[in-house]
Amino acid sequence: MSKSKRVGFKLDMTPMVDVGFLLLTFFMLSTTFKPQDVAEVSIPVSHSAFKLPDIDVMTVTVDKEGNVFLGVDNQNLRGALFGPQYVLKAGVEVTLQELPELLRNARIRNPKLRTVIKADRESEYKVIQSVMETLQKENITRFNLVTDLEK
Amino acid sequence: MADVDLSQSKGKQKHGGKKKRKRINVRIDMTPMVDVAFLLLTFFMLTTSMSKPQTMEINLPPSDTKADVAESNLLTLRITEDFRVFWNVGTEKPVTVDGANKKERLINLGKLLKERSRANPKLITLIKVDGKAKYIDMVDVMDELNINDISRFSLAPMEDKDKKEIGTL
Repeated sequence: MSKSKRVGFKLDMTPMVDVGFLLLTFFMLSTTFKPQDVAEVSIPVSHSAFKLPDIDVMTVTVDKEGNVFLGVDNQNLRGALFGPQYVLKAGVEVTLQELPELLRNARIRNPKLRTVIKADRESEYKVIQSVMETLQKENITRFNLVTDLEK
Repeated sequence: MADVDLSQSKGKQKHGGKKKRKRINVRIDMTPMVDVAFLLLTFFMLTTSMSKPQTMEINLPPSDTKADVAESNLLTLRITEDFRVFWNVGTEKPVTVDGANKKERLINLGKLLKERSRANPKLITLIKVDGKAKYIDMVDVMDELNINDISRFSLAPMEDKDKKEIGTL
């Protein structure tokens, strides 16, 4: 009877760990933490596949109850527009009367800003209409509506 | 590596007499570090949102411009609160779009718009949505226009005379 010898098995984990750290670095550097949304909004679906730009975005959010929020993606601009206490917030609740001036100020500070409207599917059209009229009066004639891609 | 070997041999020469001094083989167990690294990796992989939201683009004319459009080139769509769709060209009488529910009406509207714009390429569509309607209604109608490649459209507020015309006032 021959003794079956147990083979010592050692796996070199170094390459796997290397790749692991590489991916970790990549994800850590590419992640941008989004500030929390200003309001719970369920956006409508459409077939449009136009992508939202990465930077220089000004978002007008309208929630289900018709409250309007204004937000910009740049922290410095946010601080300059709304005051330092709002730097870490995504947006500020505004009234339709305040909106024109804020839009104007924001666009003076950064003329490249693109305006998007993010509204809840159930919100009343009347509010959206007034927001769009305000944009139109401020000479923002090209804007985007945030929608989900319909599958 | 070569340095290590050298120092080792030097050390041996220096302390030749002391045999008890052994070089301690330092081995750090890397497992916890690698565990933490992979935990972080998983966290960042799951929290990263790669996809950007989709958007729909609208171009509206500046508010101070007035465009004159021939009556025969203007198709007016009126959407009511309960999503009934009325359409008419010029000053014709508004007609409803058939369909038992919203989905059917939207499909029929799409067909109608396609047919109309093929018959008259200069056609401009004017969308008037009731203030009490939902935002999704307007998006759906615009989506239908986009699907049918109709880029010449405009939005206008629904006024009382429009409501009178379609009989909802």
